[in-house]
Amino acid sequence: MRTGQNPSKSGIPAYKPQQLGIALLVYIPFKEGYFKNSLDILKFQIESIYKNTAQKFDLLVFDNGSCPEVVHALGELREDGYIEWLVLSKNNLGKVGAWNWIFASMPNELICYADSDVLFRDGWLENSLAILNAFPNVGMVSAQPTFHDVLEGKGRAHLALQEDNNFEFGSYHPDRKIVEEYCNGIGADDKLSSIFFDMDLPCVSNKSNNSNAVIGATHMQFIIPQRVARDVVPLPVRKGLHRAETTSLDRRIDELGYLHLSTKSSYVMHMGNVINEKLLSEVNSINGGMDNGPKSAEVVLSKKSTLFRTISKLMKIPSFQRFFLRVYDFLYRALYAEIQ
Amino acid sequence: MRVGQNPAKSIKQVIQPKNVTVATITYIPHLKGYYAESLEVLKACLGSLWDNTGVPFDLFVFDNNSCDEVKNFLLDAKDNGLIQFLLLSDKNIGKGGAWNIIFQGAQGEIIAYSDSDVVYYQGWLEHSIEILNTFPNVGMVTGRPLRSPEEFFSKTLEWAQSQNDVTVENGNFIPWDVFREHVISLGTSESQAREWFESKSEWRVTYQGLSALISAAHFQFVTRKDLIQKFLPFDMDRPMGQVRTLDDMINQAGYLRLSTCEPYVRHIGNKIDGIQDHDLQNEHFSIKKTRNRFLELPLIKRSLLGIYDFIFKIYYEN
Repeated sequence: MRTGQNPSKSGIPAYKPQQLGIALLVYIPFKEGYFKNSLDILKFQIESIYKNTAQKFDLLVFDNGSCPEVVHALGELREDGYIEWLVLSKNNLGKVGAWNWIFASMPNELICYADSDVLFRDGWLENSLAILNAFPNVGMVSAQPTFHDVLEGKGRAHLALQEDNNFEFGSYHPDRKIVEEYCNGIGADDKLSSIFFDMDLPCVSNKSNNSNAVIGATHMQFIIPQRVARDVVPLPVRKGLHRAETTSLDRRIDELGYLHLSTKSSYVMHMGNVINEKLLSEVNSINGGMDNGPKSAEVVLSKKSTLFRTISKLMKIPSFQRFFLRVYDFLYRALYAEIQ
Repeated sequence: MRVGQNPAKSIKQVIQPKNVTVATITYIPHLKGYYAESLEVLKACLGSLWDNTGVPFDLFVFDNNSCDEVKNFLLDAKDNGLIQFLLLSDKNIGKGGAWNIIFQGAQGEIIAYSDSDVVYYQGWLEHSIEILNTFPNVGMVTGRPLRSPEEFFSKTLEWAQSQNDVTVENGNFIPWDVFREHVISLGTSESQAREWFESKSEWRVTYQGLSALISAAHFQFVTRKDLIQKFLPFDMDRPMGQVRTLDDMINQAGYLRLSTCEPYVRHIGNKIDGIQDHDLQNEHFSIKKTRNRFLELPLIKRSLLGIYDFIFKIYYEN
């Protein structure tokens, strides 16, 4: 039976999600071989997100059935305040299965998705938002120019802009450093790299606001408005990580008339699964330290008195917390008649 | 840089979600006071679910920032394969906020939601799904006969009374012990329960040979994902206390709110020992009135309740 009133009903405000939610998908089934450095790389990523995200956000980590050591480490990151929502799936649902979950359920107006090996640089959000706001019907914006057209030239949504004189189509040849970084991130050999070095990327400009973007987006990292994310799921899924399945996201977005766009400069970097000096140097230059730190509690209680703030501070000391909990327990039993 | 191929690419087939997602929300911030027995209640809840569910399902537990003991219990259950999805929230986003995530994220076509202070009996899910699949436009099915205010089932009654192939009856279809068990679990006194039982009646509806009571409750219900999503997102700014909005919205939209004729679930509350404990509590109450009259003085009681609430709020913020 219920004895006493549930304290949660006493008018305390619930936490209100931030406008931006960042979702990371983690799958580290063991800590050897391919995945040897994956946990450290994930930590670099989380650091970079806290360091370089210009507005408050909720971080969701979806663990797709990683090994116990990784789940434990994620639990520690959550306890330290870095992860707002930690979703632990017993089984690997596949990348698309996890997307189905993430896109359907994240309560934030704007969702940023990233694989768990992406480093975020200063300006990633501002430049992504600039594109999101500068073009109509934007579905996905990646903070790195897209070199690989997953729709293989069959994308239709951007064609609608051709009828509008405000928009101008052209091509863009990215800086050598950007291409090098991209090739390094995907482990491209010389032959493949030479293709990317010679490649011109299709781009679109909005003359009315002087904005431009590369046409196309990458699955590695992108922002997507919640209403678009909700429109595209559920996506069909059978396999763990399969191109034909992941591109169903792009096809669906394109079919619904939403644009795939990306920034002309690289504001995110694919780290892959190897930690080398180059990466460490990049990490050090980006992260520098943890001064952006984990978020403090955002729950705002109205009209906090000095007494409230003082006791609140004392409650952070374990012995005081135990004392107040004893008082609380005593009062509960006194008020609800278990003490005679 | 990436070296080698991601082994995830070799996973040829991932496990598909079950057709039914059973979902619950946990919020046990500590194991004192109101929550002293809540972990035992949670264990009883999930234990009975695992023992008495005859239909394949995925279990989705949304933890709204409970204490470590509760989180560890949930993590162990997930490690043992008993929980398929465990979401650990760093802050309490309220029951409405958790519902928004659960009802959007649940992968099953059918969602069976319950608070985490409910026990399940054999056949609970089968009987609820049978009603869900037999009656048209069902919004919610609760696995226990109960009464609720007519404002929350008026559309169901209108529908039943307007159909030629539906039998609708008014009477006492809930036995006293079944009625009492539930209302007592909500903290109602014996005399109040008896008064309610004798002063009101309920509606029973029969369609295609299957009977159900007209009424449902948000503490436990089975629904369809595509239907419940029509009502999202819920805008509830407090952790609890605004959930009747759901009952109202489903009724206003004209969806049926029904319950099984037999009790297949039972609300426990925050005390594990249920009815027997209640009887003891009655004695305690009478003892209290003679021994602790001081605590009944309005000023004293209000002051103590204020301190009690104050400590909880500080604990909540920390």
